[in-house]
Amino acid sequence: MSMATLSKGEKEKKPSDVLLDLYSDLLTEIWEVVSALIGESILELLFILAVRKIAEKYRFLTLLKVSDEGISLEGAREDCGKMAPAEVHRGFQNLITHLFDLFSALAGGVISRELFPKVFPRVKEAERVISQK
Amino acid sequence: MRLVFRNLNILRSTINAISMSLDLKEIVESAGTNLPNLFDFSSFGVLWKEGPLLYLYQDESCPATFTDDVVKNMVRIFSLLGQGPIDVESIHLRVEKRKFRPGQMMMDPRATLKSHLTFPLALEEEIFGCVSLNNDQPNAFDAQDLQFFSVIGYQMAATLKHFQRFSSVKDMATYDTLTNLHNRRYFEERLAVETQKSFYGGTSLSLVMVDIDHFKKVNDTFGHTEGDKVLFETAALLKASVRKKDTVARYGGEEFVLILPEAELEESAVIAERVRRLVEKTFFEVGQERIRLTLSLGISNFPSHRATSKEELMEMADRALYQAKRRGRNQVCIYDPAQG
Repeated sequence: MSMATLSKGEKEKKPSDVLLDLYSDLLTEIWEVVSALIGESILELLFILAVRKIAEKYRFLTLLKVSDEGISLEGAREDCGKMAPAEVHRGFQNLITHLFDLFSALAGGVISRELFPKVFPRVKEAERVISQK
Repeated sequence: MRLVFRNLNILRSTINAISMSLDLKEIVESAGTNLPNLFDFSSFGVLWKEGPLLYLYQDESCPATFTDDVVKNMVRIFSLLGQGPIDVESIHLRVEKRKFRPGQMMMDPRATLKSHLTFPLALEEEIFGCVSLNNDQPNAFDAQDLQFFSVIGYQMAATLKHFQRFSSVKDMATYDTLTNLHNRRYFEERLAVETQKSFYGGTSLSLVMVDIDHFKKVNDTFGHTEGDKVLFETAALLKASVRKKDTVARYGGEEFVLILPEAELEESAVIAERVRRLVEKTFFEVGQERIRLTLSLGISNFPSHRATSKEELMEMADRALYQAKRRGRNQVCIYDPAQG
């Protein structure tokens, strides 16, 4: 996907699907980087805690499936399709911010230093998707 | 590369030492002894939610300001992990001072916490504590430190969980589930130990058999559930009346037994009388009613009664209890050889 514009195929997708694909990639990347540092079991626990906390406000996040293999967004696709893309974006943004808060609380800057260069551009990309739609 | 191999070997022996430990304190000590070979830190902490307990292994030059920061930080993170707030004041803090640093690298007396790695102690989605490495220098830890520390954290969690399970199995084998007193099996073992100590050491040992008077009436009138409540409350009163070193056990049914090490006959009579009076004055809530109950108690003592075995000491206390019942209940009787 281009950083600035959407490809033809993606333009045909529903905005919520584009967002879900983007956040699915992003959360997978977070999973890969952080699981290498702290292991899958504890990371699964942190994801569960973060999803539980943010889902209090963004209910669609309860449809995410967290396991020791990662996080799947597929269960949320249908519900997200009926929601405003900006709301979906805000839910995921809050989830990622909360995960970063947990990582920072546990390891100071150690995890964030590894993660930030990879995550920041993708969140910006999500914001561009929202503004283009 | 050689350094990585060396560190992996240290990591391996650290994990091995942790897994061989038999209780929380030993686990913390194993980790605290080995970790300085792997990490540069000023303090290592283990927060265990039961208690709550916080063990800190610190450099001997760690100032109080730094310790305070570490305690607050660990409590904050534990709460952030969704475990609810812990009152810092309620924490049982155990601090072990060790020499981690060369003499010329003493910590600043006003040092504060600048960097840390904290890892939840968790298994099967249950978080039961956390461990942390702490330093007074900023950016003291890197990604490899985190990887190594997480491996140690996993091992500590597994060992502690195993220990916790083992403890609960041990508890089940030694405690009476209805009253939370020691059970008869534990009592037999404890009595064997105490009689050995007394018989060979020549110290005094008293045994008190206790029976709730007319307990059958409680069960018949109010039902067994209410009867169980009475047993539970009586057990609590017994526990509250004895000394720290005494053992209180449920012997069976409505019968209890007290082992009073180093108690002369007079002292054990005072304790037994205190128990009797406390129960006599207590109102027990059964069903919609408040009732009063009484106890009969029988005492035997070594060396006063010249028992030569634990069985004989038991037999004497039992006979004294029988005397108390025969004389009209609600009283303490001391074994009298003349009564047989």
